[in-house]
Amino acid sequence: MNTAPRTELLLPGGVDASTAAERLAEHLAVVTQRAQRTDRTFWDTFDGRLHAAGLALVDTGSRLALTDAQTYAEHAAADLPRGLRRVAAVDLPPGALRERLEPIVEMRVLEPTVRVRSRLLPVNVLDDLGKIVVRLHAEEPTVLPAEGEKIALRARLNVAGVRGYDADYERVLALLTGDLDLQPVAQPLHDEAVAAAGRAVGGTSSKLRVALTPDMRADAAAVAVLRRLLEIIEANLPGTLTGADTEYLHDLRVAVRRSRALQRELRGVFPPEPLRVFRAEFRELQILTGPTRDLDVQLLDFPDLVATLPAQTAASVAPLRALLEQRLAAERATMVRGLRSARTRTLLDNWRDFLDALVASAEDERPDAARPISDVAGERIGKVYRRMVRMGRAIEADSPAEALHDLRKKGKELRYLLEFFASIYPAEVIKPMVATLKGLQDVLGRFQDREVQADALRALGDEIAALEGGAAALMTMGVLVQRLSEEQAQAREQFAERFAQFAAKPQRRLVRQIFG
Amino acid sequence: MATTVALYNIKGGVGKTSAAVNLAWTAAEEGARVLLWDLDPQGAASYLLRVRPKVRGGGAKLVRGKRDPASLLKGSDHPRLDLLPADFSYRKMDLALDATKRPTQGLARVLAPLGGEYDYAFLDCAPAISLASENVFAAADVLLVPLIPTPLSLRTYDQLRAFVAKSVPKPRPRIVAFFSMVDGRKALHRSVVQELAGDRGVLRTTIPAASDVERMGSQRRALAQFAERGRAAQAYGALWTELRGRLLA
Repeated sequence: MNTAPRTELLLPGGVDASTAAERLAEHLAVVTQRAQRTDRTFWDTFDGRLHAAGLALVDTGSRLALTDAQTYAEHAAADLPRGLRRVAAVDLPPGALRERLEPIVEMRVLEPTVRVRSRLLPVNVLDDLGKIVVRLHAEEPTVLPAEGEKIALRARLNVAGVRGYDADYERVLALLTGDLDLQPVAQPLHDEAVAAAGRAVGGTSSKLRVALTPDMRADAAAVAVLRRLLEIIEANLPGTLTGADTEYLHDLRVAVRRSRALQRELRGVFPPEPLRVFRAEFRELQILTGPTRDLDVQLLDFPDLVATLPAQTAASVAPLRALLEQRLAAERATMVRGLRSARTRTLLDNWRDFLDALVASAEDERPDAARPISDVAGERIGKVYRRMVRMGRAIEADSPAEALHDLRKKGKELRYLLEFFASIYPAEVIKPMVATLKGLQDVLGRFQDREVQADALRALGDEIAALEGGAAALMTMGVLVQRLSEEQAQAREQFAERFAQFAAKPQRRLVRQIFG
Repeated sequence: MATTVALYNIKGGVGKTSAAVNLAWTAAEEGARVLLWDLDPQGAASYLLRVRPKVRGGGAKLVRGKRDPASLLKGSDHPRLDLLPADFSYRKMDLALDATKRPTQGLARVLAPLGGEYDYAFLDCAPAISLASENVFAAADVLLVPLIPTPLSLRTYDQLRAFVAKSVPKPRPRIVAFFSMVDGRKALHRSVVQELAGDRGVLRTTIPAASDVERMGSQRRALAQFAERGRAAQAYGALWTELRGRLLA
């Protein structure tokens, strides 16, 4: 049913739907029907995953339809309870819509992005039998923002063919775009509406994307990166507070961690005393949000972990899940209190003011401030890399786990430096370095995660044992802990090989050559 | 897969086409995606929907699998109702079917690739009992039989039921009937309806002999488009509701 072609044209400025219908009647055999009013709310994830996939999710009040973003041709739909403010794909009724959405949005919730009310005037083009062969809709869309005044958008003309009448569609389209000189729309209605409502088209990205030049002052480069990171923190804060999904907190924490890495690595561009205070405060922020994130991860990984269990034991872990959820609720409450506090607000405000004033401030205590960023960053990258090589070489088969954890931490530092400053170095240097670093970090990450997960499970043991059905859960937990330990051991076995690639001679030579 | 409902009766002039068009329209109006195949070479359903009764390559190529049926579909004035039009060559459908490898499966083969696109497929069948009818029996989930409420047409209905039970290979279509062109002024109609509606696979809803139905020919539209509140349109709406309930049961 969806095979008929369609396109959208812009009506000339000042031409409303009724005028358009009258003008069309001068050129075509048409029947104009009664105008309709439609209300549509468009949905997406905060980071615009549907937009990126070329899709739109349209809510017409009681029905949620996944459509093509350009043509609005429907792929799947489901009934939707009225008044819903957000929904996770897994909470949708089972069926085609959920199946299409789940792999795209994953753990992110869907939320309304913009609401559009349209007056639609259907104008049907008829053939010599009086049959509809092309459907036109003159549309006057208005954006209904969450707050503030309605915003009228330019009127559009939707042109939809009827199956089996392609020649008529082509004829009408030729008339509209030729003789009547109507232009195709620049963007789909929902994108135009989102932009008009003052929101980011395609969602809010938590990607860094800061363009730097090699000869930029180091403090200016640091400010550019840190401002963007602050923007990401601020953008993800409301969602972190409501806990709409786990990714707000995750992206906020990544931005905080990156900020801390930059504060540490480029410390020579900041005045020492204020920096000391900000570093301490950012550390507190990281500590405040840590336990919630750990529990989020445990719960996100839970289904995968349970999937490895035999069916009869899988059910016995229910008390464990309930306990984790209970813990999460308590930790979240603490975190939300902290994030809502004046201390956090003051920190973020002061940090912004500090960044705004940094470049113009006195340089006597900031030795690296005016040096080119390529020099300062290059030094740091070279230093951290060599440090990692030394640390890795010192790791033997019987070295304590801490040695690997410390190496991983340094690795994160290097990874962030490469991400921040990738744009000022040749890609052929950065790319292989990132690739071997990533290979190493994956192994170190798995090594540490499995340990953390096993420890977390062990820590719950006493509490689980005391619960109803606890004994069975405890035995299953034993199996899980065992499995985690095995995976940790495997990761450790892979370490030597990955480290060898990271610290290979040609790579060391390249680093010395480029970063000094 | 679409549920296939064939409007079928050995006799002509019993209201098959009116029922096919109005039921298909009603189902589409409710939100279902609907296909209507006008199998009658007279092309009355195509005429009512203002589509030329013409199929490129004719019925023979279609049932032989030489034409993609999707390329022959025509959208109706309802955005969820498509038509596979009639063609005058359908009068020789039996010959065309007989020339295929599996002569009783020709229509089912045409419908198979379209099934995923629709919730319901309605077949408006030509009045006859022939090889084409056997194809209809093989392709349909339900034979929907319009009956004039007279003893003679009931006899034909019983013959049809006996024939399907005895001679049609499984899976057999369910047989459901309804009284059509019911004239409330006629005592015979009233008594037959009273006796049988709701029994022997006959639906309770009856379709009146109404001038609105005749006007469809001059209007060339479904009843819902020009006489939505009329008795006949309401009756088709009720008939669809009752039939849909049966299909789900």
